[in-house]
Parts: sequence; structure tokens; C-alpha cells
Amino acid sequence: MLLVAAGVVSPIFYRPQNIFNVLQQASVLGIVSVGQTLVILSGGIDLSVASIVSTSCVFAAALMAGRNTMVVPVALFCLAVGALAGFLNGLIVTRRNAPPFIVTLGTALIFQGIRFVYTKGAPFGSIPSWLRFLGRGGVSFVPVAVIIFLALALAAEYILRRSAYGRKIYAVGDNRIAALYSGIDVARITLSVYVLSGTLAAFGGLVLAGYLGFGDNWAGRGYELDSIAAVVVGGTSLAGGEGNVGGTVVGVLLITILFNIVLLAGLPYQFQQIVKGLVIAAAVIFYSFVRTSGEGR
Amino acid sequence: MRRMLTVLVVVALLAAFGASAVLAKDWVKFLDSDKMLVDTSMYAKTPPWKIGFSNASISNSWRVFFARHVEYEASKHPEIAEFYVTDAQDNPTKQLADVEDLLAKGIDLLIISPATEAALNPAVEKAMEKGVPVVVVDRKVTTDAYVTFVESSNYQMGKIMAEWLVEKLGGKGNIVMLSGIAGAGPAEDRLKGAMDVFKNYPDIKILEQQYCDWSPVVGKQVMATLIQKYPQIDGVWADSALQGSGAIEALQEAGRPIPPITGEDMNRYLKMWKQLGFEGVAVSFPTWQGQVAVQKAIDILNGIPVPRYVDCPRVIITKENLDQFVRMDLPDEFFMDSRLPEEWLPKR
Repeated sequence: MLLVAAGVVSPIFYRPQNIFNVLQQASVLGIVSVGQTLVILSGGIDLSVASIVSTSCVFAAALMAGRNTMVVPVALFCLAVGALAGFLNGLIVTRRNAPPFIVTLGTALIFQGIRFVYTKGAPFGSIPSWLRFLGRGGVSFVPVAVIIFLALALAAEYILRRSAYGRKIYAVGDNRIAALYSGIDVARITLSVYVLSGTLAAFGGLVLAGYLGFGDNWAGRGYELDSIAAVVVGGTSLAGGEGNVGGTVVGVLLITILFNIVLLAGLPYQFQQIVKGLVIAAAVIFYSFVRTSGEGR
Repeated sequence: MRRMLTVLVVVALLAAFGASAVLAKDWVKFLDSDKMLVDTSMYAKTPPWKIGFSNASISNSWRVFFARHVEYEASKHPEIAEFYVTDAQDNPTKQLADVEDLLAKGIDLLIISPATEAALNPAVEKAMEKGVPVVVVDRKVTTDAYVTFVESSNYQMGKIMAEWLVEKLGGKGNIVMLSGIAGAGPAEDRLKGAMDVFKNYPDIKILEQQYCDWSPVVGKQVMATLIQKYPQIDGVWADSALQGSGAIEALQEAGRPIPPITGEDMNRYLKMWKQLGFEGVAVSFPTWQGQVAVQKAIDILNGIPVPRYVDCPRVIITKENLDQFVRMDLPDEFFMDSRLPEEWLPKR
């Protein structure tokens, strides 16, 4: 429906170059949102992803310093930092049984602080051409970044549907106590989704560094709320236990396409925000109806 | 002679400011209200001095450079026995507490770069009531309770950028305007300065004005979309190279020629300009206004009259003097209209 509307609002939407732009812009949000989906499915939430994206982006620029030979080792290092950040989130959430909303809000500040201590506020270094290819290269109208995003989404969807681990994530999100009684190591599952989310956020940061071309301290700003919006618009319940990655992919594309068409339509800034807000609210209302009517079964 | 010149400059700068600065309360005594010179004899004090610097934040690289200039200048004056620095992390509530702390430490003068305009009024009023003179720098307070306000006018910055663009385009063409954060003082002032120029040129067609949150990511995304929408973009007015550098990337990747585009003294923009050779102009937003604030603070404590308002003159970088400012060896987010010696530049 939105795709048709997009074409009506502006025929420019269907130009290959515009499709390329939209897919490219969707990629980083998509990679981050895949991780966010796993966390939300397990009944949690991760507000620290934006901070991890920025940190990874800044580290990539500083440590790669324009050298292609350093792309692989530094990328692995950034992923490890992301995993460690996620591990910290998961550890506090599970060990202290603390609300993830507050925990990840706090750790986001910690990661931001570390970034500022490291860069002294003025990021340095530069992004080598190999990483730039990851962030902005493409084959005809298909960006490299979107291939990575879709591959990760497919892998996540496969794990969720086909593996015992995936079913456990749903079980934990659906009912922690029941999951505990059925012998699932709830703490371990919870910990693991935060690790995955942190790692994917760091990966998103690498792709974003490639897109951007330099290390910016605030590069990831907004990805925490946008990723949550994408997950919710994609039909995953914030209460956990219900939803899937396929929906998130749709949510990510929807949000990005929306950003694109409000610009193409030339809407002033204030209306862009209203339109985006309305779509998110409409999605939430729609799913709440679907869920209430489904409960009778 | 030099002082005469200073006075003349001050008079010129204050011509526009004069009428609006009628004081509600006698916070400061003017030596000569026409020249808006403030009598500071009552603040004169024999050294050693304790000075407090309440900074809004160092959350972006401009602010880091700004704070460095403050500390660099302070380090040059042995009369300053203690120089306390606080960082409010962009939080006005924390900054109110910071100022309380500084006052409790018995500072002789307060330099403040407020997190938001109105919220810090009580803090500076309290300081002035206690007889601690206040130097406001970079961002305004809305009360009259301060001795001098040091800034570099954002309105002028936006205006000069627009004038340059009009000249480059011969008063005719389709332009795109990329602003910072909607509602943020500097962004709105720069925009207003630019609009006051563009409104006089009916043949300058503003295709679109968009806010890009001073983000290179958003700048690139917005420009990539606008390129699809408009086959012909003759010029880009960007209030900062933060989004401007993203816009340049988008143009480059779309295979479009890069039209005349404005920016400031951020090294990222200067490097791109040098490498890609487009038509550019950089109107600096001087990070050294922090240094000037400390110099005025010293004057106040020496009882030397200071102007009520100081507009730090911006440097205009064109292709003629680009090489004096661009540094290919330094990081992208460095601000090049700097007065810091090499050893004071932020290091890893």
C-alpha cells in the first residue's frame, strides 16, 4: 500500500537511484533492528544500541586510520567491543533482575563516556576504501549494505523458527516463569540476546562508518528509538514472545520509505515528524486490534 | 591609538545592539552608555585570583576546541591562582548546581557558557548579587545580570554565507538550504541571517529548506533524496559542514557536479574542498571566543573597562586563503580558525 502511495506522491520514488538510496539508508537501521527484535522478543529492550553504533564508528576510523590492511582486525575488535557491551547489559539485567529500560539507558551513557575519554571529544583517523565499499558500494541498484542486512535478517529468522535456541527466546519472552519451570536457562538466553544485539549494533556502526567516511561521535544518534519503532511497526509485541524478524524488515523499509517520501513530497520538517509519528501509532493500534480479536481462539 | 581603534570598533559593533540593551536593573554601571563600555572599577582586585568556568558541555568537537581555548588562555596568566572548570553535560539543572559549587569555592569571577538561554538566569543573577562579575560566552542568558557577553554572531555567519552564495550565482539560481537542529538558537539565527539576504533576490529560488540535525548521516540522506527530486541544484547553503560534508558526499556519489556550497572552518569540509576543488566558502564560528572571554575576565579583575558586547570577528576562508587553514594531516573534526599552539591541540 505504502509502495503504491509512494509512487503516487512522487514518480521519482521508483527511479533506480532512489531505490538504491532507500535500500542503503535502510541497511544500518535494519542491521541494528535485527538485534533489537531478538531482545524485544525475549521480553527486554536495548536503548544502548545507538551509543554502540557511534562507538564502533569512532573506533573504526581511529584504529583503521585509512589502512585497508587494518579493516579485518579492527572490524573484529569493534564486534568484540559490541559483544562485550551487550554482555554487560545482559549481565546487569539478569544478575540484578533490573529493568532493561533503565539498565541500557545507563550503559548507553557509559559507552558514550568511554568514547569521549578515548577521542577527547574530537574523533580522529579515517575510513579505508574497503570499509567504504561496505557502506556505500553496490551492484546496479542493490547496495552491498542491504545484502548484508537481508542476509543477517534471514539468518536470524531461520534461527528463530528452526532452532531450539529460537524457540527458547520466544518462550522466555512469552512467560519467564513458565520458561524457567520447563527447564530453560532463562538467564543465559537473556544474556545471549543482549550480546547479539550489541554485536549487531557494532556491525551497524562499521557499515555506517563506511557510509559516512569518517568517525563522528554522534553518528548513531536516533538508532535506539528508530530500531524500536521498526520492530513494533513490524508487528513484534513490546511485551515479548510474539513477532518475527520478517516483520521487522518490513518495519525498517516502511520507516525508511516514509522518510524518503515525506522529503520527496516536500513536506516541511514539522509535518515529517507528524506523519512518521502517525504511522507508528497506527501500526501499534492495528496490532492491538489484531491481538485482542485473536485472543478468543 | 590602539585603544581608540578598539573603542571605534566597539561602537560600530554596538550600533545595532544599543537600543535593545536598556537595563531593567542596575547590574552594571556604564562608563559611557553610548559606547556601551562597562565600568569595572568595583570589581578590581589584587591577584592571586580564583576564576570559575562553567561550561555547558564538551559534547562535540567545536565545544572541545572552545574549552581548550579557555584553558589555554587561563594557563598564560600567573595571576590566576585557581582556575576551576565544570562540565554540565548539556544539562541546565546540573549547570545551576555547578555554579553554586563554584560560588561556594569563593571564585572572584565567573565565566559561563550556558546550556540554554533562560534556564541559567538565576545562576548568573545570584553571582552578580554576590558581587562576582560574570562573563557570558558563546550562548546568551536572557537576563541583564552579567558584565560582558562574548560571542560570534550566528546571524552574521548565516548572512555572510548567503551573500557569498548570491554572488557566486550572480543573483540567480535554484538553491537548497540545509540547517542544523530545528529550534536550536544558532541554527535559527544563521537561517534568519540567510533569509534576510535571499529575500532581496527574487531570482534565487529556494527549492527546499530542511533541518539535518547537524548530522553528517542525515545530511547525506537528505541530500541523496533531494538530488533525485531536483534535476538542477545550483547552490547549497549549509549552516555547518557537519551536514554539508554529508551533502557533498551524496552529490559526489550521484555523479553530480558539486555546486557552490557553504560551510565553516571544520577540517572535514576544508579537506573535501581541497581534494574535490568545488566552489566553497568557509565562514568560521571562532572557537577562540573562549580565549577572548578569559581576556575580558582578566580586564574586569584589573578594573579595566570592557565592552558590554563583543562580537568575535569570523574568518572568511575562500580558495585564495584555503591553504592557510586546511591541514590534511589533522583529524576531520578539527576547527581550523584556531589560536591554539600545536601542543594545545586535542591529542589522542
